[in-house]
Amino acid sequence: MRRKLAAVAALATAAAMTLAGCSGSSGGGGSTDEPFRVVAFTSGNQTPIGAWWVKAVEQQADELGWDLTMIQGDFDFQKMNPAVESAIGQGADAVFDGFTDYASISSIVTAAKDAGIPIFAVDSGTEPFDGFAVNVTTDQQGIVDQTLDAIGTAIGGLSGKNVMVIGHDPHAGIRMRADLAKKALEAAGATIAGGDIQKVTSPATGRTEALALVADYLAANPNGLDAVWVGWDDAALGAAQAISEAGAAAVVTGVDATSEALAAIQSGTSPLIATVEQPWPEVNAQVTDYITEFQKSGSLPGENFEAVSTTLVDKSNAATITPSDKLG
Amino acid sequence: MTTTERNVTASTAVAGGARSAGRMLLHGGTIVALIVLVIFFFAMRPDVFLTFTNVRNILYQVSILAIIAGAQTIVMVVGDFDLSVGATSALAGAVAASLMLGGVPMAVAILAALVVGLLIGLVNGLLIAYVNLSAFVATLATMTSVVGLAYLVTAGTTLFNLPAAFTNLGQGRLFEIPLPVFFAIGISVVLWLVLRFTTMGRRWYATGGNAEVSRLSGVNVRRARLIAFTAAGLISAIGGILLAARLGSASAVQGEDNMMFSVAAVFLGMTVIRSGAANLGGTMVGVAIIGVMSNGLNILGVNAYVQQVVTGLIIIAAVTLSSLRHRER
Repeated sequence: MRRKLAAVAALATAAAMTLAGCSGSSGGGGSTDEPFRVVAFTSGNQTPIGAWWVKAVEQQADELGWDLTMIQGDFDFQKMNPAVESAIGQGADAVFDGFTDYASISSIVTAAKDAGIPIFAVDSGTEPFDGFAVNVTTDQQGIVDQTLDAIGTAIGGLSGKNVMVIGHDPHAGIRMRADLAKKALEAAGATIAGGDIQKVTSPATGRTEALALVADYLAANPNGLDAVWVGWDDAALGAAQAISEAGAAAVVTGVDATSEALAAIQSGTSPLIATVEQPWPEVNAQVTDYITEFQKSGSLPGENFEAVSTTLVDKSNAATITPSDKLG
Repeated sequence: MTTTERNVTASTAVAGGARSAGRMLLHGGTIVALIVLVIFFFAMRPDVFLTFTNVRNILYQVSILAIIAGAQTIVMVVGDFDLSVGATSALAGAVAASLMLGGVPMAVAILAALVVGLLIGLVNGLLIAYVNLSAFVATLATMTSVVGLAYLVTAGTTLFNLPAAFTNLGQGRLFEIPLPVFFAIGISVVLWLVLRFTTMGRRWYATGGNAEVSRLSGVNVRRARLIAFTAAGLISAIGGILLAARLGSASAVQGEDNMMFSVAAVFLGMTVIRSGAANLGGTMVGVAIIGVMSNGLNILGVNAYVQQVVTGLIIIAAVTLSSLRHRER
């Protein structure tokens, strides 16, 4: 009996030592020869850009020799967050967040903090957040400036014009740029059609919701619109369709540079006159460089938030732009 | 007549009047609600609400929902419901778009999309009628798989650049009225005729009324349910194809709100007839309420979030009215 107990104790000790050895960090300075372990996750894997990001990160991991755990959340945080926390608990050197707003992942941030590992993020919030080592996203004010400039040029200035702003609050980027667009339009002397930002409730029905919003507004106010500013292309295409069907002369701008939006802009017959290209491959490469630097030297970026500039896409350059839904 | 007798008679008359007003509200609540909504929005914007352009807007906006609500009506007539109608319509639109972009002729692509819808309905029917799964579980499961299939077909993107002949089905006009309105009216009339005048329609109603009694009366209840779900799949596919044509594009989640609104429309319509059963005329009244409310609130500039709250409240009111009708029976 005593021998059996001793054997069990020896086995338990060996197992504990093995586990302890396994859970030691290999990152942050490249102190061991073990592969650098990265837990990557995105909630938006079902969107074209999210799907591209998953593939891009998996390819980078192969090239850089990372031991990658990729978790795809399908916009289901109840499923995704525990999976990421579990992966962190099993041992990781860094966390890589793709397109998932920090407001939805506080439990992951806590898990990473407890494990003493940094989170690097691509487009995961519109403001600096202490829980991230760095978050690189696009310049929302720049997007608003570019699109409103395009609208102003098309309709002869913004002062005295009726402009509808269509947003979607659950998306942090769209929410922020819609608010900025409203402020900028009011500052320029334009009237916000409908009195406030028109809200789309679901991205899945964004196009039909925007179509109905603009069609109903035009039915009530024929010739009452000079322009529609929309926070993303899918809804912008719905707004443009409503304007075409009503035979109105208003112009529309969107954001995202999807292939359908680019085709509409190039056609020259659509009210959609411009969109904005956000340089996701460059943003992703920048964040990957930060992770690689951390792997080599253990150093983190000096600033935890970067907003990169974007490109306005109109008829003059639409043919040269890679659509955001064709990145992969 | 003594004073006491007169008082009793008067109070009986008042009570009787209140009862009949209550009955009228119970029996015709949905139609009354529609009339009240129309009067309210007309009073608020008399220059806009009942103009030809705006009425056409409303009809255009509800035409696809009317078709999908028609599909939902059939399965609710047999006493079930179908959570997969929205997903089936999205997949059908995606299949048609994908095939056309791949060079398949339009007619063949549409036919293939219809077959896809029919097969999904058939699977639902088999699971519910022959494997004895509950409609909730079976259609929830197929909805999940069908959404996944739609993502596979579209590769997660939005399919566009569809042939003009196809988009004309959703965007073309006849006598200044959008074609989907005619399709919705045509399909609704056919469904109404089937439900009212055919043996299958009567079997569906008998099954929904009491499946066991129907079975003992010689109705093949399983086959009736199978055919109901198969028809619903096919009709949902028609709605999805028209939605893709109307928007000129197809995506995996296109028109996903049609499922919830179709159920709401059928519930609203169940209060219209005496029996309290699902019926096509009532469903169309329900669709009209949803369309009028959305359009009217948009015209008044009411916030979309408030609109969602109001829609939910109206569904609760409809279900409550419907259950009161059942209790009354």
